[in-house]
Amino acid sequence: MRRKFVYAAWLALQLLLIISFSCRDTLHALAEGPTILPDSFKDVAHKAETVLSTSLGQELPASNPARQALATYLHVAGIEAGYNYFAPNVPSGYKLVFELHYRDGRVEYELPSITTAAAGLRIAGLLDYIGRTRSDPVREILVKTLAQSVWREHPDVEGVRAILGSIALPSVREYEHGNRESYEFLYAYDFSATSEPAKPHDR
Amino acid sequence: MQAFRTRLFLFPPETDHWLAILRVGLGFEVMLYSVSLRNDWCYLLSGITRKVAEALLSLESHFVPTLGWFVALAAQLGVREERVIFLAWLGLFASGCALLVGVACRFSAIAAWLLHLCAAKSGGFTSYGMDNFLTIGLFYLMLSPLPDRFSLDWRLRDWQVRDPQLLGFWRRVLQLHLCIIYFFSGLAKCFGSGWWNGSSVWRALIRPPFNVINPEILVTFKYVFPLAGVLVCLLEFGYPIFIWSTRTRKIWLLGVCTMHVAIAVAMGMYLFSLVMIVLNVAAFGTGLFPEQGKKIRLQPETTAA
Repeated sequence: MRRKFVYAAWLALQLLLIISFSCRDTLHALAEGPTILPDSFKDVAHKAETVLSTSLGQELPASNPARQALATYLHVAGIEAGYNYFAPNVPSGYKLVFELHYRDGRVEYELPSITTAAAGLRIAGLLDYIGRTRSDPVREILVKTLAQSVWREHPDVEGVRAILGSIALPSVREYEHGNRESYEFLYAYDFSATSEPAKPHDR
Repeated sequence: MQAFRTRLFLFPPETDHWLAILRVGLGFEVMLYSVSLRNDWCYLLSGITRKVAEALLSLESHFVPTLGWFVALAAQLGVREERVIFLAWLGLFASGCALLVGVACRFSAIAAWLLHLCAAKSGGFTSYGMDNFLTIGLFYLMLSPLPDRFSLDWRLRDWQVRDPQLLGFWRRVLQLHLCIIYFFSGLAKCFGSGWWNGSSVWRALIRPPFNVINPEILVTFKYVFPLAGVLVCLLEFGYPIFIWSTRTRKIWLLGVCTMHVAIAVAMGMYLFSLVMIVLNVAAFGTGLFPEQGKKIRLQPETTAA
């Protein structure tokens, strides 16, 4: 009987956490993206998200033991994020192209090198992160890591320019009129054979 | 009376069929996951990318397991990073195989959960929804009353039948979690206009790297997209309502599984689809179809003549 009570109490806590974090992420999505709701709802969603985050201890200092314990449990149980995949709308993706400059003046183009479709899905997730992150140093480190792997396959290259762009997808009607996916330039990084830091170029 | 009902709801007597489906399904999923990433495993999980992901994760918590723990430990013994990463892959693959046949079920479930969690967290930038669902499934599997009677553990040793109410409890946990997942997934989609007019379905199908089907073919089905979008919203949002009723459960389970098969075929997300189908069938699939014994009674009598 006592054991069942402990199980039931754990389940109540588990469900409370799942619902709370799902609510928080849904509110975040509503506050960020265009939805069918009136624009005034964005402020409400943003405020509700802040209140929920605060009550879940997400505004506590990162070193707070309670916050650390909660974060650990959420990650090991796989419930640290909500479930609004491709919602409320399907976001645009990102594309990273490497421009390889050879000593003899030749220029070739390469994409991040992976061998399987399963890894391709994961690289797409990485590109999404690179495209969306607001941290310039993190973006540069990740682009540099991908550039290094291309460089290893082409050791005779003198310099590599990594160009990141967002993908603009055509609507059905646009596609029928001959429009195809297009790219909007976001960032470019130059890497040379010397160990100098990359030279970023913003849009 | 209310307390009795609650207890009966949370601890219903249950067989271990659902647990066998979960164990075999997740074992197969872990094997497929390992094999599909074999060639890119070290590329995705070693070097700077791993270190940056782990550093960002440590801002949230220092206690979430990562491959960095094993790498640091092995470095003191003089073992190189690549070798540790490969051993993690090997351990994950072996635990998937062990789960599939049911050898050392509890240990295999814990090993699979730990190694997959480490890989998912160390490859944080390259993780996606499938990793979350696999973590959830393995987390519940390792806590459930293993082994089930279809495992080799059960056959080789003289195990006692587990508490049927505890089996029922863990199945209930999985059922309730799935209801929340689909409810919020459907709710968020309902707020986007693209799911009502079909443009989100179109965008999901042509967005790289999910563009498995040629858009020239897809565009001929343009009138189906709005219906497909509304159906997805209905299936997901209505899941926590219609999956419980015995009258609608079969339709809803079949609909959700069909949706996941379509995602696998049309978007190439076969690992994601498989884990969702396994979780759904384990949670709500058993007991839907008549037992073999009942079918036998329908056979014509042969003794009288």
